[in-house]
Amino acid sequence: MTKSVDLPGPGLWTTSVGSFPKPDYVVEARGKYARKEIGRDELKELEKRATREWIEFQDSLPTDVVVDGEMYRGDMVAFFAEELPGLEIGGLVRSYGNRYYRKPIATGPVGREHPVTVEWWEYAQSLTEKPVKGMLTGPYTICDWSFNEHYDTRRDLVLDLAKVIRDEALDLERAGARFIQIDEPAASTRMDELDLVIEAMHIVTEPLSAHTVTHICYGDFQNAYPKMLDIPVDQIDLEFANSDYALLDVFAEHPFTKFIGLGVVDVHNHALEPVEEIAEGIRRTLKYIPADRMFVDPDCGLKTRKVEEAKKKLENIRAAVDLVKDEL
Amino acid sequence: MDRAGRGEVTMGIRTTVVGSYPKPPDEGAPFTVRKTIHALDKGTATEADLRRAQDELVREVIAEQEAAGMDVVTDGHARWDDIVTPFARHMAGFEIGGLLRFFDNNVYYRRPVCTGEVEWRGPTSVAGWKFAAETATKPVKAVLPGPVTFARLSIDDHYRDHEKFTLAVARVLAQEAFELQAAGCPIVQFDEPALLDAPEDLELAKKAIGVATKEIDEAVTLLVTYFGDAKRLGTELFSLPVDGFGLDLVSHVESIELTRSVPVGINLQAGIVDARNTKLEPVDQLVAAIEELASVVGPERLTVSPSCGLEFLPRDKARAKLQRLAAAAQKVSA
Repeated sequence: MTKSVDLPGPGLWTTSVGSFPKPDYVVEARGKYARKEIGRDELKELEKRATREWIEFQDSLPTDVVVDGEMYRGDMVAFFAEELPGLEIGGLVRSYGNRYYRKPIATGPVGREHPVTVEWWEYAQSLTEKPVKGMLTGPYTICDWSFNEHYDTRRDLVLDLAKVIRDEALDLERAGARFIQIDEPAASTRMDELDLVIEAMHIVTEPLSAHTVTHICYGDFQNAYPKMLDIPVDQIDLEFANSDYALLDVFAEHPFTKFIGLGVVDVHNHALEPVEEIAEGIRRTLKYIPADRMFVDPDCGLKTRKVEEAKKKLENIRAAVDLVKDEL
Repeated sequence: MDRAGRGEVTMGIRTTVVGSYPKPPDEGAPFTVRKTIHALDKGTATEADLRRAQDELVREVIAEQEAAGMDVVTDGHARWDDIVTPFARHMAGFEIGGLLRFFDNNVYYRRPVCTGEVEWRGPTSVAGWKFAAETATKPVKAVLPGPVTFARLSIDDHYRDHEKFTLAVARVLAQEAFELQAAGCPIVQFDEPALLDAPEDLELAKKAIGVATKEIDEAVTLLVTYFGDAKRLGTELFSLPVDGFGLDLVSHVESIELTRSVPVGINLQAGIVDARNTKLEPVDQLVAAIEELASVVGPERLTVSPSCGLEFLPRDKARAKLQRLAAAAQKVSA
């Protein structure tokens, strides 16, 4: 049985999936830094300012479990690839439409020389009384979104990455993180590798005592469920808004046995979901999952939205949660 | 190019690409197409500007394929985001929906949604093929989505009947293929990767490909699969009414077993370099693979290629892979 969570209140806690949009001054500064017009320190000061602003905003709502918003990350895989020996940043490939990314390449044994996320986590936690979530990219997703020139098999690469991410998670926990999210958006890509996702996640979460979360998206959930429940984490965070809560039909057949991260606003849509629509989604879900096992958040990272759009979506989530909590 | 492998003596092992080619340039070179699309979105460039940028990219990728030693080239899908939406946007009966993962790749496409009768509204790819053919010195192959793959990558909100929907798409593709042939296109390739995940659609595919290729009596027709395990389809795959088949022999090595059963008179386009990983195959390894394939299907019926479209690789790696493929084919032919 799932352990309880160390948070006040009856449940329906609010949080975010990870990324927030970068304000214009950070986008500009990142461009200048790439063109070597400003130094690393100058960029970092602006990233810290943006992090502080996002934490202040989340506290103003308030938000139960806060994220740092990832002002200092570009791509969720490249960020780790830049820091980990054995991974290199490769050439440009297309992701969709007119969007391209630098796909990392595993060129040697993957390791870790120093903590990658702890300093930013500590900075964010110093700004708020609320718990800040540690944010990591999962081993399966880092492998799946990289080229492999070194390892004989995908499994070898995934398992080495799992040890690296475990060490990072342990460092976050030692620094004081009580919530650690290990994102695996690629987990739903290949049903025949779901066992590998589970095996790797076991390596990451086995020594942890923090509340562990994984976020999965873009997926073939109908096939991945209920096996997905075997991923050894306390909570699975899923997108509901962009599929009109179709997953609930699946929960009717096989009960969802973990904490849920309930995505209630579509992150790829400019339109703002009304408070009542979000509240109705939460009410529908409460028929399958009790309030004390439910976190409410956006479908996915909000980084592709404009700052004001993201804030309005988060405000409406807060208002909808307060509405439903009064009915409990 | 005449109907390769059909009665005439062809010297050497032929080389080709499957379809797409990386759009990003080499490191440091201007990425004009990307910039122009951004500018178009902001209203500071025109459709004509984009067409010029795409024309330039087509010239560039054809020149690169030819310089690397390809015997048959494509326009690299330089004007497309994927193999289905350019056609769905042009036919009657479709809207374009949300983003979905393209098979098992970290690449996403917008899903066509069928909301009405699917109808031909004029050619989608013929002008692009003509432009490429004028640019190239080698024969240019046209690539069309296969009807089963088209249907499976779309949502059918109109027919609500997979067979009816697939056959309606096949009739439009038949018209497109006919127009390509009329324009002088020597090879029309249908991409059917989705068939590998849906062996139950094989009978439907026979019908649908029959419809799509019915009027094609001059151009060579190819049916190409990739990503999945072709062995699942078994030798029944070869009963589809086309002149040749393309197989990805990298993603699932088991697919190699199928090459032993390619019927006499049928051409094989064998994908032997990994178009989804940057690691470069040693030429000797490719030589061995080509020699084995040539001994099984006969050199006159063999074309070698990457395992799938090259757009999953950065430009420099794609080019290096083609150079090695051509070097290996040349060694075997010598």
